[in-house]
Amino acid sequence: MIEAAVNENFFTDRSGGGCIQDNRLFCPGWVADNYDRYVDPTLQHLVLVGSAVAAGFLIAFALAIFAHRHRWLQTPFLAGTGVLYTIPSISFFFLLLPITGRGALTAIIALTAFNLQIIFRNVTNGLRNVPSNVTEAATGIGMTPAQILWRVELPLALPEIIAGLRIATVSTVALATLAVFANGGGLGTEIVTGSNITFKTGIIVAGSIAVIMAILFDAVLLLIGKLLAPWKRKQALA
Amino acid sequence: MISLTLPTASFGLFGDAFHFVFSGREAETGGGTVGGTSQGLGLAAKQLEVTLLALGVAILLAMPVGLWLGHRQKGEFLAVSAGNAGRAIPELALIALMAAAIGVGLVNLVVALAILGIPPILTNTYVGISQVDRASVEAARGMGMTEAAIVRKVELPLAVPTIMGGVRTAAINIIATATIAPLAGILTLGDFIIARNVYGDAGVLAGAVLVALMALALEGTLAGIQWAMTSKGLKLNRS
Amino acid sequence: MTAESVSASPVRFDSVTKRYRGADSVAVEELSFEVPAGEICVLVGPSGCGKTTALRMVNRTVEMTSGDIQIGGRSVKEGDPARLRREIGYVIQQIGLFPHRTISQNIGTVPALLGWEKEKIAARSAELLKLIGLDPEYGDRYPAQLSGGQQQRVGVARALAVDPPVMLMDEPFGAIDPINRSRLQNEFLRLQAELKKTVLFVTHDVDEAIKMGDRVAVLKKGGHLAQYATPTELLMEPADDFVEDFVGADRALKRLALMRVRDVDLWTAPLAQAGDPAEAVRTAVAAAEVPHALLVDGENRPLGWLSNRDLAGEQVPAIPDSAADPLIDADSVLRDGLATLLQSGSLYAPVIDARGRLSGVLSVEIVSDFLASDEASESELTAAERPHD
Repeated sequence: MIEAAVNENFFTDRSGGGCIQDNRLFCPGWVADNYDRYVDPTLQHLVLVGSAVAAGFLIAFALAIFAHRHRWLQTPFLAGTGVLYTIPSISFFFLLLPITGRGALTAIIALTAFNLQIIFRNVTNGLRNVPSNVTEAATGIGMTPAQILWRVELPLALPEIIAGLRIATVSTVALATLAVFANGGGLGTEIVTGSNITFKTGIIVAGSIAVIMAILFDAVLLLIGKLLAPWKRKQALA
Repeated sequence: MISLTLPTASFGLFGDAFHFVFSGREAETGGGTVGGTSQGLGLAAKQLEVTLLALGVAILLAMPVGLWLGHRQKGEFLAVSAGNAGRAIPELALIALMAAAIGVGLVNLVVALAILGIPPILTNTYVGISQVDRASVEAARGMGMTEAAIVRKVELPLAVPTIMGGVRTAAINIIATATIAPLAGILTLGDFIIARNVYGDAGVLAGAVLVALMALALEGTLAGIQWAMTSKGLKLNRS
Repeated sequence: MTAESVSASPVRFDSVTKRYRGADSVAVEELSFEVPAGEICVLVGPSGCGKTTALRMVNRTVEMTSGDIQIGGRSVKEGDPARLRREIGYVIQQIGLFPHRTISQNIGTVPALLGWEKEKIAARSAELLKLIGLDPEYGDRYPAQLSGGQQQRVGVARALAVDPPVMLMDEPFGAIDPINRSRLQNEFLRLQAELKKTVLFVTHDVDEAIKMGDRVAVLKKGGHLAQYATPTELLMEPADDFVEDFVGADRALKRLALMRVRDVDLWTAPLAQAGDPAEAVRTAVAAAEVPHALLVDGENRPLGWLSNRDLAGEQVPAIPDSAADPLIDADSVLRDGLATLLQSGSLYAPVIDARGRLSGVLSVEIVSDFLASDEASESELTAAERPHD
């Protein structure tokens, strides 16, 4: 059913004996002996996620800033990124097939397209939620619109932007497991390995790595968000 | 990876895919006729069936919990964490593990897909209900409405946009994952994509296009339902 | 009083008109007046009279349709609006402190925009914090940690940061509770006594206008100037019915807030000390303005009123029949003096200075005579010098 690279060594480098033969749910012995096979896929996965989120952020952020100045663009941009979000990534991989072929680039483009709406929406809402008296004061004080955007509106929108980034990143980590179908590498290669997708231990390990990666990314972004927004932490005095 | 000849060839490839959808052809592995509208429709119907079943199950399980917790303004941590956790589930691992550990079959697939759909519905239902203006709720309570009536007549209508947002997210997740259901033995449109050796490049592209169209159609329908369900007063409020 | 200093410029409105596109009526029509340097001009009027619009045309947050506004002789229309605004202090009702910056950083916003060095900015922020009466440690706090009144004070400090020649204040104390509003008003007036800035101040509250303004511009709907005068003139000679109604039926009483007790002619009461011969005192009482004698000590501090019974004997007793209360502070406003008299039901009350020594006696008659006379216009003070509690 699956046409993918057949890993000949798969069945011969097993250890863990009976656990593997019976394909029990989780074989720690095998994992201990074979953990290094997960290094490359994990690194590939990191590259996929990092590139897709970075590209998605750059594009969506630029779109949002532009639409902040020209409000009428917000609805069409939202709709456009919405279409890209709705199209399943697998579909996207193969729609890109005639243009970028199969490989990591295709996967990254598809994952980036998935990210756009989440980030765009959060940047736009974050900017919109800046209290009007603050922007009024900023104008009256003598800030140019560009200065207001970069020194007042964006810093205040930061918490919401970071929230959007967190959602986008976690979702992308999960979705990037599908990159294997575009020949893009990643942890999916350890789930759909060879002609055998029933190797339970392998699935569990690869899946767990993905989940842990997502949690770590989330925590790091959360921390960065807190560091960049110290005013949010202070409680108002009585 | 980007060849200059491919763009010009792509037109031909899309044409070939178009052809694939509407008339059968010899399978690449030579095992018989594939493609054509009947097979396409059959697979699409299967995908839709599986998606709607899973979405229904997810709604039936997650929404009441979300409504109850949201109305009582309790369990925020659970509801929000469910959403976060759900996002982190790798769909491929879920399907593969289900197939490997529990076995293939429609029921198992629907369960797995429902698992993907529950978190966004739970979180959004909770958030939508709990963020309804407390003043409206207090007024309703003061007028003598029962708790259940408050949920039905006050909180739900006001929370429709948020809750439907969750349903739509769930639907997108589910239909996307249903595409790889062939890995678990249930043949959906994704089969065109995954089993390239059988269907050929034309089939792959056809599958990709059909899946995309189906997802957009589903999302569009749900958006329309949301619009129909949103009360006029709320619509006037939207900035 | 109206000295033109480097840090204050006169502001001049020249037939300023503002018509919004598509509107039938004009928001501001041919508004012309001049604010001398170093004075507070209050723009007051009912809602829709264009006072805020007029204010905002000074720093071009609203662009005028025709006419000109000049600051220190230079038209505001010259050059880039953002640059103009950096030279004008701007305080709004909802304050608008930047929540993501510390108090020091907020105060230092315009200096930073103008490229001052960090040390200079920090020093200036510290200086202004002191000026508005906040401890230096507040500099590192965030706006969310301050009360509304404190935030508004920081807003004023932020406006003063680059020592602008003109300050614009749009209902700055409107969102503050009445008790703190009074305190903030007093503090601003104290500040103004030191800094002598040219201030354009918008309010809808005529009492605030009278308290704060050196001059008051009363605007009618459509931005028409109904009267432009000092508070005293406004109260004594309202230009028309509109101004009279707006100022209020109690305008006579409002004048009492503009005068100190010690500035009116007080009556003298016969004074006696313990042990004085009662006969002399009785004679003095018969001939005096105030038909009662006051018992005082060696320092002329009032101890009480002497009744006829007290004076019946040979000597003035040490302990009088009635207490001296209520006592009126010579530095307080005439309005409060009158209130004290009325509340205690007395006709007369001793007036004492800061050290408790007798200045004279205040009576209700003195107050009503004052109201009927033209005395006030001769002893007019600037807003900053006028009494405020």
